Amino acid sequence: MKLFNKIFSAATGIVLLFCSCQKNFLERPPLAQITVDNFYKSNADLRLATAALYGGSPWFDWQYFPILGIGDVLSGNILQPYNSNLVQLTTFSITPGNEYIANTWRCMYKVIAQTNTVIKAITTRAADSISIASKNAALGESRFIRATAYFHLAQLWGAVPIIEDNTKLIGSPLLPRNITTDVYKFIIGDLAFAVKSLPASDAPGRLTTWAAQGMLAKVYLTRAGLGQNGSRNASDLDSARYFAGNVCNNSGLSLLPSYYNLFRTQYNDNPESLFALQWAPGVGYGIGNGLQAQFASSNVLVPGGGFGGAIGPTADLYFLYTTQDSIRRKATFMLKGDHYPELNAAGGGFTETGDANIKKHIVGTPQDNNAPTTDLWNSVEHNAVLRLGDVYLLYVEAIMGNNATTTDGQALLYFNKIRTRAGVDPVTEIADTTLAKERRIELAFEGQYWFDLVRLSYYNPQSAVDQLNKQQRVGFAYNNGVAAPYVQNLTITPATPATFTMPLPATEVTADPLLSQPPVAYYK
Amino acid sequence: MKKDNQKRRMRRSLVLLCFLLSVLYGAGQGGSPATRKITGTVLSATDKKPVAGASVVLKGATTGVQTDEKGQFAINAKDRDILVISSIGYVSGEMTVGRRSVLEVMLQEYSSTLDQVVIGYGHAPRKDITGSIASVSGEEIRKTQPVTVDQALQGKVAGVVIQQVSGQPGGGVSVQIRGLSSFNNNPPMYVIDGVIIGGAAIDGTGTNPLSSINPSEVASIDILKDASATAIYGSQATNGVVIITTKRGKVGAPTVTYDGYYGRQKLPHTYSVMNLRDYAGFMNDKSTIIGYDFRPQFANPQYLGAGTNWQKALFRAAPMQNHSVTVSGGDARTQYLLSGTYFSQDGIAQGSDFKRTSIRLNLDNKTTDWLKVGTSLQLANVTENVNATGSNVINTALTQTPEVNVKNPDGSWGGNDPNIYGAYALNPFAMANIVKNLKKRYQLFGNIYAEVAFTRDLSLRNEASGSFDFGTEDQFTPTYVMGPIINTVNSATYQSAQNFYTTVRNYLTYNHYFTKGISLNALLGHEAQVSTYSNNSSSRKNFPSNNVQAINSGDATTATNNGDKQQSAQESYFGRVFVGYHDKYLLTVNLRDDGSSKFAPGRRWVTTWSGALAWRVSNEAFLKDFTAVNDLKLRVGYGLTNNQNIGNYTYGATLTTIATGLSGYSQLTSNLPNASVKWETTKSFNIGLDGTLLRKKITFSVDYYDRTTDGLLLSVPLPLYSGTIPNTGYSPGALAAPNENVGSVRNHGFDLSIASTNVETKNFSWRTNLTVSHNINKILSLNSGNDALYGYIGNVIAAKTVVGRSIGEFWGYQTDGIFQSASDFKSHPAIPANTTTGVLLPITPGTGGIWLGDVMFRDRNKDGVINEKDQTYLGSPLPSFQFGFNNTFTYRNFDLTVFFTANTGNKVLDQLNINGQDPNQNFGYFKSVTNYTRIAMIDPAGSTTDVNNFMVTNPGTKITRISQSSGNDNTRISDRYVEDGSFIRCKNLTLGYSFSPKLIAKARLSALHIYANVNNPFIITKYSGMDPEVGSYNPLLVGVDNGFYPQPRVYTVGLNLTFNK
Repeated sequence: MKLFNKIFSAATGIVLLFCSCQKNFLERPPLAQITVDNFYKSNADLRLATAALYGGSPWFDWQYFPILGIGDVLSGNILQPYNSNLVQLTTFSITPGNEYIANTWRCMYKVIAQTNTVIKAITTRAADSISIASKNAALGESRFIRATAYFHLAQLWGAVPIIEDNTKLIGSPLLPRNITTDVYKFIIGDLAFAVKSLPASDAPGRLTTWAAQGMLAKVYLTRAGLGQNGSRNASDLDSARYFAGNVCNNSGLSLLPSYYNLFRTQYNDNPESLFALQWAPGVGYGIGNGLQAQFASSNVLVPGGGFGGAIGPTADLYFLYTTQDSIRRKATFMLKGDHYPELNAAGGGFTETGDANIKKHIVGTPQDNNAPTTDLWNSVEHNAVLRLGDVYLLYVEAIMGNNATTTDGQALLYFNKIRTRAGVDPVTEIADTTLAKERRIELAFEGQYWFDLVRLSYYNPQSAVDQLNKQQRVGFAYNNGVAAPYVQNLTITPATPATFTMPLPATEVTADPLLSQPPVAYYK
Repeated sequence: MKKDNQKRRMRRSLVLLCFLLSVLYGAGQGGSPATRKITGTVLSATDKKPVAGASVVLKGATTGVQTDEKGQFAINAKDRDILVISSIGYVSGEMTVGRRSVLEVMLQEYSSTLDQVVIGYGHAPRKDITGSIASVSGEEIRKTQPVTVDQALQGKVAGVVIQQVSGQPGGGVSVQIRGLSSFNNNPPMYVIDGVIIGGAAIDGTGTNPLSSINPSEVASIDILKDASATAIYGSQATNGVVIITTKRGKVGAPTVTYDGYYGRQKLPHTYSVMNLRDYAGFMNDKSTIIGYDFRPQFANPQYLGAGTNWQKALFRAAPMQNHSVTVSGGDARTQYLLSGTYFSQDGIAQGSDFKRTSIRLNLDNKTTDWLKVGTSLQLANVTENVNATGSNVINTALTQTPEVNVKNPDGSWGGNDPNIYGAYALNPFAMANIVKNLKKRYQLFGNIYAEVAFTRDLSLRNEASGSFDFGTEDQFTPTYVMGPIINTVNSATYQSAQNFYTTVRNYLTYNHYFTKGISLNALLGHEAQVSTYSNNSSSRKNFPSNNVQAINSGDATTATNNGDKQQSAQESYFGRVFVGYHDKYLLTVNLRDDGSSKFAPGRRWVTTWSGALAWRVSNEAFLKDFTAVNDLKLRVGYGLTNNQNIGNYTYGATLTTIATGLSGYSQLTSNLPNASVKWETTKSFNIGLDGTLLRKKITFSVDYYDRTTDGLLLSVPLPLYSGTIPNTGYSPGALAAPNENVGSVRNHGFDLSIASTNVETKNFSWRTNLTVSHNINKILSLNSGNDALYGYIGNVIAAKTVVGRSIGEFWGYQTDGIFQSASDFKSHPAIPANTTTGVLLPITPGTGGIWLGDVMFRDRNKDGVINEKDQTYLGSPLPSFQFGFNNTFTYRNFDLTVFFTANTGNKVLDQLNINGQDPNQNFGYFKSVTNYTRIAMIDPAGSTTDVNNFMVTNPGTKITRISQSSGNDNTRISDRYVEDGSFIRCKNLTLGYSFSPKLIAKARLSALHIYANVNNPFIITKYSGMDPEVGSYNPLLVGVDNGFYPQPRVYTVGLNLTFNK
């Protein structure tokens, strides 16, 4: 009996043991996430993978501050006088420890890492059943976005490491910088592929060949001055003219009739928008568009945020606007007494009470945008990285080439389209200085002006330096229609040609001593 | 793959073991009628004093008698009866009655050197142990009134480094056994009554998964330190094993004990910060220098008050209390212990508290003479308010400035003046009180077992155990106005999560004493573990009122939700053989095979092994007559253990669904996979000597160990251009860094513990217990292509790990004070340059330049420029020596305990000084900033740009100048922020009184002890921050004080009492 009991209890144990030890006991794939092994099976999968590159967390570090910190504070469009990292930008005293410089570096490389991952997955894993055209279109999107990130890096630092496959960093993580010309060559390679692979039209917000051609024109136009003295490389100018002209004349796209509406969320991804960051609402800090929280002047506009009360346009920018140029002025910054009925509409609109504050990117409350899940850190504005208006002016610049003025018909046509929409008089001749001023006004607070100056600095550093050094980089009091610039309290170090190259982040130089060595060729 | 198949075959062919749940029953048999009266005395074996209230039961009976205050008892028994004598605090004894009618029974006291040691899948007499195992008794733990079990071990065990990660109630502790041998956060394995403790379902900053265990229920803690001891636990045990055994019922009449205490906690130290007058004066100076931000209300600082001291506002004297009732007893068949505990602690910081209610049931039942079944069950409910008190609560208190009121006269919350430049900080007091962040955990730790004795020697034990953790987190942010910061949208998030960790194990034990003096103990077993985790959370906004906080009350159109699910599994086969020869020569061999789901197929299985020899020298004939030596044992062990502490499925890549404005949702790659990642292996050698000397007045244990870990697993911090982020950092959109086997590290050193009875007279005794640990940590190789691994504070490198040095040494610049005159620029010509262009920065008061009042960084390589090549090692955060020193004095019925801990040789980086001492930030300032470098012109009519015309009017200051745009990066990591972290801390001071049994017998009490206790009464240290004991979960960056919730000083009174019947 006793023996029987023992055997019985042992048998019970056997059953339980079998329950715990199935055949694939140690095979434990993730339960809540897709793995790369079971993804990339259809074109729909590829579309989901590339959609993640258009905005969200990989772009957060850039959007959070540097887009305007570098694009407009450093270039003298915006004054932000207290945040010491931004004060360094205003005063040309950027240290290697500057947080926004490091974040910009980190951000662009995160975008590169994510695009590299998608590119590698599509080329090595995508199912054979997906058409070549679909694969190429997805690769085109990824390579366009990668090129955009490298283009930012090249313009800010010149020589930077080129990374195509991040898995190669496992085991050999330390890279040298690659020479600037090779970085541009790499960018052009990516964009040329995108031009061929992307469709002529797609869902709103998706990249098309026109976006790729516009971006490629901009890269050629920028590279045209690289290493040149006084004039630009004719071949690159021709390429820029060719691609920009193609977009202007053959894309079938046209400017949005209202400049003001360009920056309203109801007009997100309008036909003028060639590449805009695709921000989503309700996603939380670190994933969404935080521009409103940082730059809006009042928490009436951004519940819980609106830290930008002390931020505004510089006197230098303000005085560029003629009285006639009020549409663009009011869409770019608010002056005391300005009323915006669509901002905080439920509260009767918003009236500016300070002297001058940022307007562009300020889109109002969640109700104003019909986006109830949004909070201060996720504005639903899809801010454009490249828009048709920009390409029109690039086209004009490419046509003008190495001349100081132009009366070319195409140039005048597109230049005047920009002016007419803004409600200012058309011109009959364009000088390089009027073009530069037009770009600065048209694209103010869109993170562009610094890069225009960098483009100029490549072939005419003195002119770029002079533009910076004669600026009135101060705020102003605004009463009864009269602006009175404040006395300059910040001591501003005069800009030099070296100002156009950012210091490498201190952390990176420590982590990778090879970065301090002279850059090497990427293409052998 | 081949190996996996082989394992499967092995599994099938394994002798399959059994498991049975039986109904507990415990019918006892009454005494037989043919009995006679036996009388006896029960005495303590140590001091020969009578033991009152001991229970004396006939074996097999359910009832018995108790000893009186003289230790005497009378019972009816037969010659062949066996008496079972037990008492709390003593090892139970048995005695056959025989023909005697008067008996004397000696009971052995439980002491710090417990006689039985838990060794994993069994226990063994301490005398037979061959590995390095330290034990702490429950009695010892209760003396310091620790809140959590891991705090209880602090300073008690040589070789175990325990550092507070947060002093928050129930907060986290980092525990290392014998040095940092792993790069990932690797606590030791915790096993409580056979239950391997998995993580908490919801944890966050400073929350401790062990916090739901009541230290007063602990019978003993055994710490397995060397490979020969830990190998039986296999892959989870590389960093040591902490085995916690809770008390169990003993044969005897029911005993009821009550332990209770009440305490008050205080912040021992505050930072000296500017008051309002200091601040106003400073801001006036600052606005004059930088040219803006002048505040009319500060025109006459002398008329202002002191303003708000945010540390005083945020910290309070806070109560804590604990009440615990235990009922235990049993008869020869069934023993039980049932206890209930309530513990509550308010945090010294506003908005933090901790409450724990737990019930424990331990049951053992001898069902038949061949079957024993039992269970250990603990149910716990923990409620924590962790609102606004992450690990950096002090930091929060230092961010706000003194001119802001806690509350304005009209009752509204204070906030910054909206018309000024600078930071808009939240009101930390308000945030601590109005924001809700409530965490609740319901935990079930359970173990059920059935033990089948096939023969007297061979038995089979089946166990099923699990740690089931259910957690919720309830967060609500109300609308509020704090000056310019207005939150018009309230919001709530509710999260619930489950973390289950289940184990089924079966093992055979064979125990035999051969007649030739050979004893054999063999073990063979199998274990399977599965861990699953899932959570989901939902959020809404726009609640109709701040008082309506349930998630369903929010605006449904704002609803968002999220969730996650994870799993992992492990399977193991293990065996152990112990052979003893004449009680002189002892041998232990362990072997274990582990398979883990965390590695790619083909890399899953690994073998762990160890062997150890011990020689009980004292049992040799040549020492037999040497009475000074009571016991002496030499141990030598060597083994190889393996570690798998990485995330699930890092060998493959996963994609995460994220929202996008483009197509609604999208798939973003989460990590950079590394399919070739494999087990981390540690080879360790240990030699030790245990002894008891001078009539057991001195016991000691000393060990030398040498551990080398290869294939160190790490989520590697690569340069930023990799687009990756290690699991210790934050960088939105980055790929999780790959796990790699990055290198090897050696830890060697010694542990020493000595317990001695210094004085022992009739009325007075003095005992001391000293532990000393010394560890040397050195990286032997790094093979990931990195010259070094870095510890990052945000984007800033603060520590560097390289071959030939210890893990995580601080890294930065040396400084030579502050530029005070033009001559300093001649003696220290090196200044920083633009990192890209190499152009030296100008000497100018203008922007981007270097000027008087900037820090003189040392040009270590004498190349005339300050750049990254001038960085150097600024010291190690790892202590070289750690001490624990405990003194217990007794005089008649009084007892006094004084316990010290000390660390030497470690450095602490005081991150608070980086901001607090920087005159150019916009938050609160340390008082020392009032002495910022003041610069004046020598000739007021002279040059305004020539440094020769300037002087510093307060030479000798350590605070830099006021300048918004110095090019010098004065706050870069440097020796200015690294301090000596050595300390001697009086950890505990306790005075107690035990009432004489005679006095309390009238109240039917058998023991009553009252005490008063001070925790952390004082500390001796050069460290200028709040508390030099700072732990970390990131080994590459330890010893960084970012405003830790400091360990409070606690004043406690308490009592322990025992009733019998």
